[in-house]
Amino acid sequence: MLADAVFYLLAALIIVAALGVVALRNIFHAALAFGLMLVGIAGLYLVLSAEFIAVTQLLIYVGAIMTLILFAVMLTQRIADPSVPHLNEQRGPAALIAVGLGVLLITVILQTPWSRVSRPGPLVGVTELGRQLLTTYVLPFEVISIALVAALVGAMVIAKREQSTR
Amino acid sequence: MGIPIERFLVLSVILLCIGCYGLLARRNAIGILMSIEVLLNAVNINLVAFSRTVSPSEGTGQIFALFVIGMAAAAAVVGLALVLAISRHLKTVNLDEMNLLKW
Repeated sequence: MLADAVFYLLAALIIVAALGVVALRNIFHAALAFGLMLVGIAGLYLVLSAEFIAVTQLLIYVGAIMTLILFAVMLTQRIADPSVPHLNEQRGPAALIAVGLGVLLITVILQTPWSRVSRPGPLVGVTELGRQLLTTYVLPFEVISIALVAALVGAMVIAKREQSTR
Repeated sequence: MGIPIERFLVLSVILLCIGCYGLLARRNAIGILMSIEVLLNAVNINLVAFSRTVSPSEGTGQIFALFVIGMAAAAAVVGLALVLAISRHLKTVNLDEMNLLKW
């Protein structure tokens, strides 16, 4: 009963914040709504007993990605004109496609007989996640390290201000 | 009696549709990048919900979600660097005004 109420409250927060991300005119307000949505999703992970993912979400998504987006918004602030429309001319078909996709998927979800816990056991914790990251999933772990370094170096090269010609 | 999974899947689908609409309809390039992050978060909710209800002692969904978070960070970094570089040259942030490669 209380778990249901908590879930519906978090779900309402997440959906309203996501609507703010896509529909708010001021891009800074949209970035703040994005942060609110990420905090709501971290709460949802706690409801699902995924504590490590919840804390990782807060650290990386809210702490790094949302901050980076806010930096980018601030650096491009004076060239974003608040009086032009913030949605392009495709917004009608885009809304139709989004609603159609949603109706289709929700119909399929509500008609599928989802099986309950088929392999019951103790809930996985941080220890088990760490062990699996270093034994079963060690290859994706190393690959994502390389990918993150590549993204870091690439972003520095792309965003570097060009040197003035001597 | 396990956790009913349909509510998490429906929430994930709603977020997917909201992110899809934002991706197609926004003009600001940073707004489009934020909509892509909304899409990735919808996928993460899906993964963690399945991990909790179907195989709660294996954590495969949670590890998958961890990697999605990592790659979302990498994509956001590169995307924002590109937006900054382009906005420096074209003096605009709206995606439909960046049409130098169009015929």
